Amino acid sequence: MTSISKQDSLSKDLVHRVLLGKKQFLVTEDEPLLPQLERAGIHIEYQCREGYCSSCSIKLLWGQVEYPFEPLAWVHSGYMLACCAIVKSDIEIAFFHD
Amino acid sequence: MSYSTFNRKQFDSMKEPMFFGENVNVARYDQQKHPIFEKLIEKQLSFFWRPEEVDLSSDRKDFQQLAEHEQHIFLSNLKYQTLLDSVQGRSPNVALLPIVSLPELETWIETWSFSETIHSRSYTHIIRNIVNDPTVIFDDITVNTEITKRADSVSVYYDRLIEMVSLYNTLGMGTHHIPGKGSVEISMPTLKKALYLTIASVNVLEAIRFYVSFACSFAFAERTLMEGNAKIIKLIARDEALHLTGTQHMLNLMASGKDDPEMAMIAAECQDEVRNIFIEAAEQEKEWATYLFKDGSMIGLNAQILSQYVEYITNVRMQAVGLDTCFSTKHNPIPWINAWLVSDNVQVAPQEAEISSYLVGQTDNSLDDSDFDDFDL
Repeated sequence: MTSISKQDSLSKDLVHRVLLGKKQFLVTEDEPLLPQLERAGIHIEYQCREGYCSSCSIKLLWGQVEYPFEPLAWVHSGYMLACCAIVKSDIEIAFFHD
Repeated sequence: MSYSTFNRKQFDSMKEPMFFGENVNVARYDQQKHPIFEKLIEKQLSFFWRPEEVDLSSDRKDFQQLAEHEQHIFLSNLKYQTLLDSVQGRSPNVALLPIVSLPELETWIETWSFSETIHSRSYTHIIRNIVNDPTVIFDDITVNTEITKRADSVSVYYDRLIEMVSLYNTLGMGTHHIPGKGSVEISMPTLKKALYLTIASVNVLEAIRFYVSFACSFAFAERTLMEGNAKIIKLIARDEALHLTGTQHMLNLMASGKDDPEMAMIAAECQDEVRNIFIEAAEQEKEWATYLFKDGSMIGLNAQILSQYVEYITNVRMQAVGLDTCFSTKHNPIPWINAWLVSDNVQVAPQEAEISSYLVGQTDNSLDDSDFDDFDL
């Protein structure tokens, strides 16, 4: 039991910074980037939210993200799928039209 | 080269390109050059649905109470979607199966086309339920100039590819003089170019052309009108989002040269033409929006907002295939549409709520001795 609660508190400690233009947000590794940015009031285009439609594809300028499962959509290099990517370090993102 | 339904040559299909290599022989999936296509097949099968599962009895009452210009919007969109899925229910099979060289891709094309036939059947289901005489509506599709204009643009690349492949199969390479058409040059580069442009135009069809209709259907449902229809359109939109991933993968694999180095050169050469296919489709869809709203708008939507949405979605789709965007619209003018397009809460039967991709008849085969620990005999 103790070990489980330890893991819990560990994952909650992992907070990363997300830079978007001049804005900055803090996100955790507990869920993908998309819902966390939505809660911060940022609109990101989405459709399937399951990694196959590529509507939520955004630029990943630097930093690391991981996919808990391999998305069906094609992910171009330098891009990421916000709906299913877990942020693993501080990152900087941009929308494709910026 | 003529098509064989079972190619007797021995070859390594892992070394074949997606198209224009050897004709496929054994439908085997133990080794796959591009495993993504089998994943798409599995996803598509998990999406399986039947139009009859959706009850449309309240849609009939709603439809009768719509203003005349709203009925025009609703029916015109249904006609246009019927046209698009008539093309998509057959063309990937007719155009692509004779030239495909990978078993997993061949099966994806068949699975993809099959799901389009469900869409076609669902339009009949909707039309039958809301009007007394469906014939009037279906008969108009081939004579209504606003729709036939679009029929030309969605079928022209398919038709050209089909014609060139049939010349290639019967007469082989070379310049052929075809009565009524003049001389047609058949070479590997011209065939591959026709193929690349076809896939691009299909991507545009599924990624952009459907979305004006989708927006209108969901705008009705936002007012709690035509909700059965919106449920069906939601299922269709989920399928279409998967299909467009299929063509995006084909286009990106071709452009990367990973599949066929010659195709990468052709993709680079065709870039401007592909851009124009996107832009032309967006312009046509904007015209379509004007036609829909010619007699009046509906709450929450008008021709201008829809045109901005077309520009926005065109930008999204262009960057997904590695093209620079071409419209200045940077924001989705109807963000509420995404809540309707999300596949997560597609619900047909109540027990399927909250399940993202409902798999029929799932079984768990991974058993070991410990699973029987709580059994008492």
